[in-house]
Amino acid sequence: MSPRGEVRFRDFTWRPIGRRNAVIAGLDLTIEPGERVLLVGPSGAGKSTLLHGLVGALGATIAGDLTGSAEVDGRSGLLLQNPADAIVAERTGRDVAFGPENAGLPRDEIWARVDAALDAVGLTYGRDHFTAALSGGEQQRLALAGVLAMRPDVLLLDEPTSMLDPATAATVREAILASAGGRTLLVVEHRIEAWLPHVDRVVVLSADGQVVGDGTVSAFLAGPRPDGVWMPGAPTPPLLAVPDTLVRPADEALTVTATDVSVELVMRTMRGTQRTQALTELTARLAPGRVTGFTGPSGAGKSTALAVLGGLLAPTTGTVAPDLRRWRSPALAAAVGWVPQNPEHGLLTSTVVDEVRHTATRTGRTVDAGAVLDVFGLGHLASSNPYRLSGGEQRRLALAAALAHRPGVVLLDEPTVGQDPGTWAAVAGWIAASRDAGAAVGLSTHDADVGLDIEHGMSRGVMT
Amino acid sequence: MRTLVRRTNPLVLISVGLFSLLGSFWIRSLPVALIAVAAYAVAAVILLPGWRFPLVCLAFTSIAALTVVYSTWRLGGHDVELAVTAGLRIVVLAWPGSVAAGYIDPSRLADYLAQSLRLPPRLIVAFAAALQRLTAFGIAWQQLDRVRRVRGFGAGRNPLANGGYAANMSFALLVQAMRGATSTSIAMDARGFATAHERTWALPAPWTRLDVLALVAAALLGAVPVIARLV
Repeated sequence: MSPRGEVRFRDFTWRPIGRRNAVIAGLDLTIEPGERVLLVGPSGAGKSTLLHGLVGALGATIAGDLTGSAEVDGRSGLLLQNPADAIVAERTGRDVAFGPENAGLPRDEIWARVDAALDAVGLTYGRDHFTAALSGGEQQRLALAGVLAMRPDVLLLDEPTSMLDPATAATVREAILASAGGRTLLVVEHRIEAWLPHVDRVVVLSADGQVVGDGTVSAFLAGPRPDGVWMPGAPTPPLLAVPDTLVRPADEALTVTATDVSVELVMRTMRGTQRTQALTELTARLAPGRVTGFTGPSGAGKSTALAVLGGLLAPTTGTVAPDLRRWRSPALAAAVGWVPQNPEHGLLTSTVVDEVRHTATRTGRTVDAGAVLDVFGLGHLASSNPYRLSGGEQRRLALAAALAHRPGVVLLDEPTVGQDPGTWAAVAGWIAASRDAGAAVGLSTHDADVGLDIEHGMSRGVMT
Repeated sequence: MRTLVRRTNPLVLISVGLFSLLGSFWIRSLPVALIAVAAYAVAAVILLPGWRFPLVCLAFTSIAALTVVYSTWRLGGHDVELAVTAGLRIVVLAWPGSVAAGYIDPSRLADYLAQSLRLPPRLIVAFAAALQRLTAFGIAWQQLDRVRRVRGFGAGRNPLANGGYAANMSFALLVQAMRGATSTSIAMDARGFATAHERTWALPAPWTRLDVLALVAAALLGAVPVIARLV
């Protein structure tokens, strides 16, 4: 019997329902047991699709035409790109226990693995914390703990550290490598530098889903520079020059000031209440012509800070001036644009181009939707359904949809996650151009390459 | 005393609803109906940790009860006592169960359904995961609401004009629910659910003395109309 953990694609072809062309066509790839492989390629190349294929989701749970085969010898554990969808239980401990339960393990073994996995990913809240009270980055670590606790023969990880700050990402990466041991590991990631010393092989996908590179790490580094891949040591990509007319605020930008703002988020169920002190006495200002960044580990309160400044969440104590909470929806829309962390929450219409025009129509502004989509490399998808886009494409669309009507206050929650260098340059270029045109920009990020004029480092809700 | 309900096992909580449903069949007169409703109200005051949730459930139940009162009054010869009795019967039938259900942790319910009642584990686990998604809906609703507000399509101040907004939000939540269900199903299969034939359970499903006492109490509450008729 061959050792478990082999991964095989044979003439693998996948066309999702509603798309004319196959995302992946005739792909052949074999990964040996115990091999550690990094899968790279531009946003929308079909990287996540390959992982979905290996767990049997294509053609079954996800509708479309599948030919050829994708097989795994042994048990596979998949970490999805959107960790919120992976939650199956109300409490953290029980959620991580799901895999071991399915494997039929005895009870004490289950809990030993749960505790070890939570510890490995650095979630220190204990077993009884409400899963719904976790931040985005914490949910990502919870989902990873759920996969690690299974001790699968093949680890399939879709952007496992994309939502984490560098320090947490390093801890999580070590946890993955330690628990991978001799197991097969297939990792999809855009920021690959830190992974390269730990993998045996790099597979490069092109934008049209072909394998254009496959070899050792040294061959990859020595070879031609592939499109859409963050090469180690390469300089930060030059920002895309976004035309001033697309980003210049339609009305003069507001200055928004938060003074001594504290926010206690309350997650209430009949079975108990979880109070999270998300912000403690935050004082910050969004000023026209400045990029103000909130940085820090997951759970630091970055998203909460943006929501409070944008009038989307009421402070428990403290004041925000002007008090945008009291503004009516169309007036708020004219002044503020906000890009949510989960891009799917930001979608209101059924085609990509309508999405970009939607708020402009509401606020009585004209927008060159074609030009905006071209900036973000979405021009060819103008008539597509927003839900059919890849994770990175959706993030760019959510950004375009929230900001195309040129609000003066621009708020972005982790805008550069899941972007390749080309699309990153568009997102970062838009941010810089907005600032230069006089917008007051606020963003939460852990991306050290985004240029910030004012940085508020945060940890556990407190400015550091 | 008031946190007992959170320590009671989920099958007992379900039994509260079943017993109240059975008991409601014995409600044929207004005094019996009033005694039964009063018994449940007293139990709620003594045993529940909060009053808001039971009142919300009561409000929803009352909508159903009032339609029954009206139609019984209309069709039953304008007999007010008969109509009110019929309405209170609906309250006894539905209210205790809806309140008790709110205190059930989906994972614990799955533990008991599978281990105490020996129901098919795969079905139970899928059911529990679906219940779990209800919590996620609350969070998604909040995010969808924020996005609409900041994009100019938020709820207005005119309650009549908000019908369209509620419809739009509900549809968006439905889309989210279906998208989420797809991903959750992939995530579950990717954590060994697809191939789980001999599944184990991380927590046991014990019956404590408290559970037995609570079960007896639920049965007694359900039997209040029966006893009241005999007396």
